Amino acid sequence: MTDQLTTDPAKPAQRMRAGSMTIPLIPWVVAAILLCLMPYIFTANSAITIMNQMAITIIFALAYNMLLGQGGMLSFGHAVYAGVGGFACMHIMNMGDFFSGLPLPFLPIFGGLMGMGLATIVASFSTRNAGVVFAMISLGVGELIAACSVIIVVFFGGEEGISGDRTYGLPFFGVEFLQQVEVYYLIAFWLLLSAALMYLYSRTPLGRMANAVRDNPERAEFLGYSARWVRFYSFVASGFFAGVAGALFAINYEILTEENLNTTQSGAILLVTFLGGVGFFFGPILGAIVFTLVQTVLSLQTELWGFYLGIIFVATVMFFPGGLAGLIMMHVPALRMGKLGRLTVPYLKTLLPAAIGMMGAAALVEMTFHVRHAATGDHEMTLFWTTFDSHSLTPWLVAIAVTAAGFAITRATAPAMLDAWNDANSADGNVK
Amino acid sequence: MTAALELDGLKKSFGKTEIIRGVDLAIASGERHAIIGPNGAGKSTLFNLITGRFPQTEGAIRLHGLDLAGKAPFEINRMGLSRSFQITNIFPKMTVFENVRCSLLWSMGYRYNFWSMVGRSRALTEGADEILEQINLTARRDLPAGVLSYAEQRALEIGITIAGGADVIMLDEPTAGMSHSETDYIVELIRIVTEGKTLIMVEHDMGVVFGLADQISVLVYGEIIATGAPEEVRANARVQEAYLGAALEDH
Amino acid sequence: MDLIFVNLIDGLVTGLLLFMLSAGLTLIFSMMGVLNFAHASFYMLGAYFAFQISLAVGFWMGLLIAPLIVGVMGAGVERYGLRRVHQYGHVPELIFTFGLALLIEELVQFVWGKNQMPYSAPDILQFTAFSIAGNSIPAYKIFMIFISIFIFIGLLWVLTRTRVGMIIQAALTYPKTVESLGHNVPLIFMGVFGVGTALAGLAGVIAGPVLGTFPGMAFVLGSIVFVTIVIGGLGSLWGALVASLLIGWMTTFAKSYNFRMEDLLSSFGFIKPEPIWDSKWRDLWTITSPQIADILPYILMVLILIFRPYGLFGKRDA
Repeated sequence: MTDQLTTDPAKPAQRMRAGSMTIPLIPWVVAAILLCLMPYIFTANSAITIMNQMAITIIFALAYNMLLGQGGMLSFGHAVYAGVGGFACMHIMNMGDFFSGLPLPFLPIFGGLMGMGLATIVASFSTRNAGVVFAMISLGVGELIAACSVIIVVFFGGEEGISGDRTYGLPFFGVEFLQQVEVYYLIAFWLLLSAALMYLYSRTPLGRMANAVRDNPERAEFLGYSARWVRFYSFVASGFFAGVAGALFAINYEILTEENLNTTQSGAILLVTFLGGVGFFFGPILGAIVFTLVQTVLSLQTELWGFYLGIIFVATVMFFPGGLAGLIMMHVPALRMGKLGRLTVPYLKTLLPAAIGMMGAAALVEMTFHVRHAATGDHEMTLFWTTFDSHSLTPWLVAIAVTAAGFAITRATAPAMLDAWNDANSADGNVK
Repeated sequence: MTAALELDGLKKSFGKTEIIRGVDLAIASGERHAIIGPNGAGKSTLFNLITGRFPQTEGAIRLHGLDLAGKAPFEINRMGLSRSFQITNIFPKMTVFENVRCSLLWSMGYRYNFWSMVGRSRALTEGADEILEQINLTARRDLPAGVLSYAEQRALEIGITIAGGADVIMLDEPTAGMSHSETDYIVELIRIVTEGKTLIMVEHDMGVVFGLADQISVLVYGEIIATGAPEEVRANARVQEAYLGAALEDH
Repeated sequence: MDLIFVNLIDGLVTGLLLFMLSAGLTLIFSMMGVLNFAHASFYMLGAYFAFQISLAVGFWMGLLIAPLIVGVMGAGVERYGLRRVHQYGHVPELIFTFGLALLIEELVQFVWGKNQMPYSAPDILQFTAFSIAGNSIPAYKIFMIFISIFIFIGLLWVLTRTRVGMIIQAALTYPKTVESLGHNVPLIFMGVFGVGTALAGLAGVIAGPVLGTFPGMAFVLGSIVFVTIVIGGLGSLWGALVASLLIGWMTTFAKSYNFRMEDLLSSFGFIKPEPIWDSKWRDLWTITSPQIADILPYILMVLILIFRPYGLFGKRDA
């Protein structure tokens, strides 16, 4: 039974390539070029701020995925390592006279070390378990540290947090980091470096065994590896990069509070990583980018964006546990067979009405919320660039009609899309 | 000469139920030893005791003379004992090649290394390919292990078990659920890959047992009622009565 | 002396409330291996539903109906949500329940807004049961204690003395065997999940007036509940009881008595730095027990994890 998609073991060159897990260089080069060019494409300061936020989130999400996706360990308290790294850097910045010789670009190393230090302590008693027990422990520890942060005012600054000045030190090759754009390039550099290191880590013996322990801890033990210690090292490594993310946060925003450590923040990174897709390296990257964009845009449009996020998250867990990355990679077999084009029209026919239907449903949700919670007498609301009276019947009818029509068409065209999908995924000559 | 594996007065109870009631056994280096017995005799429990899954209630287990008490499975593995599982226990999401490569990591001294790229090591790649040759799965090299057929997965399981270079190999019902031809194939495989090593095998298939084993022990209700060469065991009246019965007629 | 008695009662109320939540959670976990992150969310829903119902037909109808609604919702979640995610493993199940908790919190805010609801105890119970040394014990708290104990005894009775209870206990450890004996194990799972969440809802109904009915109430209590079952030992009902009471009393006494760290440190011979506000160690010296009362459970959890990793009553193979 031959399968055209595997390499031919008789050819040594191909064999070496398959076995060597060659690190594809092109995506990294493209990414580097893109990162350099971004500020020239999006020049507004607000855009740069968003990009900075995205970059920091990407590093944090990748670090988180070292635990979740690579190691199979679900943590509800990972924000503390980023937070602690950030606070450490804040203090370094504030001790400007002592540290003026330390150029700003090197600061994230200390953030990473601090995060790693805390992770080592916590890992020492929490890595004996995996799975749900580990998750619960991480929740408790995360809450504990977050709660301590309000008490230990010396380090965490209490209610107001700690603020600092990133221009504490001497200029680094003439750059004072006063401008957002300068900070952008610093962050972009650390993003590329961290991502590359994390990627390479997954190709090391420890990285491979982390995957093995995730899939089958018992088997891994009988390969000579202590599952506990493999988890321990993964945790510590993840803590380092989380600390780096925290340090960059400190540099970028020049203030850090208890909010950076708390469980809400930990939950957010879980959301971001999972939505992006835990099974692929680029999943968290995608998740961070999309999430930051959506959050920025959507939170301006509606008060209910958290509600929509919750629905999307639950739907993802139930129906698309592979996340965005998983969805994209599902199309690879079709791409390889050159049949991806066949899906365009069916997708348009089914997914477009579905999107419209969802818009209609969202409109209904918004209107319901408005009717229920707006101040008495305030009947006017704006949705989709139209202002209307939420208490009159017409908008409701319109919304219901749109929703119903959208979903009805979706339902009608869905079987055709399914057929197209099956067709695109079977090698010519086979019919599923 | 120190036995490769020695069980000394081994007992195991779960709560009030005594599963292993006192087992004494010595298996010499290089020996092929099969443990047979009716269902519920305690074969799996015995296996799990030896491989450190849970502690014994009484008695000692010695590997090359070293006591295994209190040792975790990974420690026992590092001392030179490797096992396969009754229910196939591989890494389904990794490719066949990677499955084998992971089995080589520790024995090739990589430990918790996070600075070398596994892809760059020729030793790893060639070592893994060699084992793939031995278990005849070279053609399946880059498929996710989960899509292999049952017999192929069992072969991979054996490959993973021997890859680390352990000298005491324990196989838990390696031919379970296989057809006649698949069984013959696996038996040949086992014979080749365990050449020169100590093999301890739990099996139900009498053909496999009598064909492969140098020594057979019969475990009934947590006790060994007979140990010896296949012919002796076959002729033993107690064994015939307790277990083999009609099955003997076929062989 | 009398203060101790007051604190005992307050601690008992908190502890029993915590137990109602952790009992359901630990039962569900030991049977299905699912750790329901949204358990406290059902608690919250219980409070909100009861509030809404009480506006229409009074507190007592709320007490009766709200837990039922919550239980049915719970059963629905198990049937249509969990069962679907179950195939992916325990970690995705946990992520699912986490998402559910998030969603429920948003849903509550959507329907009822972000403010605290004026859900109060029924008039019939709004009197002082008795006074101790000037502190009045509200009758409502006594009512809470009695309801909790009643529920606990009821639960114990059902589990140990009825046929259904025995089947559930069996399914707790050997679901496949029980299934092959002809019992509808998926139905049992759904039922246990429903009862567990109904219990949580009940806790919400009676705790709402006292602890406040607001969208953050699930979050506030949620992590403590998980800490409780880790301390007590996953899967152990007795462990949940002991841990709940322990935490209830510990936090109550810590809040009520103002133990100060400076007294403790001074008694060991350390000198308090003057002026205290300039010292690096000021946080340590100014710690008072009310300040750390809420994080004591977490500290206890960490200690337990280090010295007794399976919890107080946990089983080794859990």
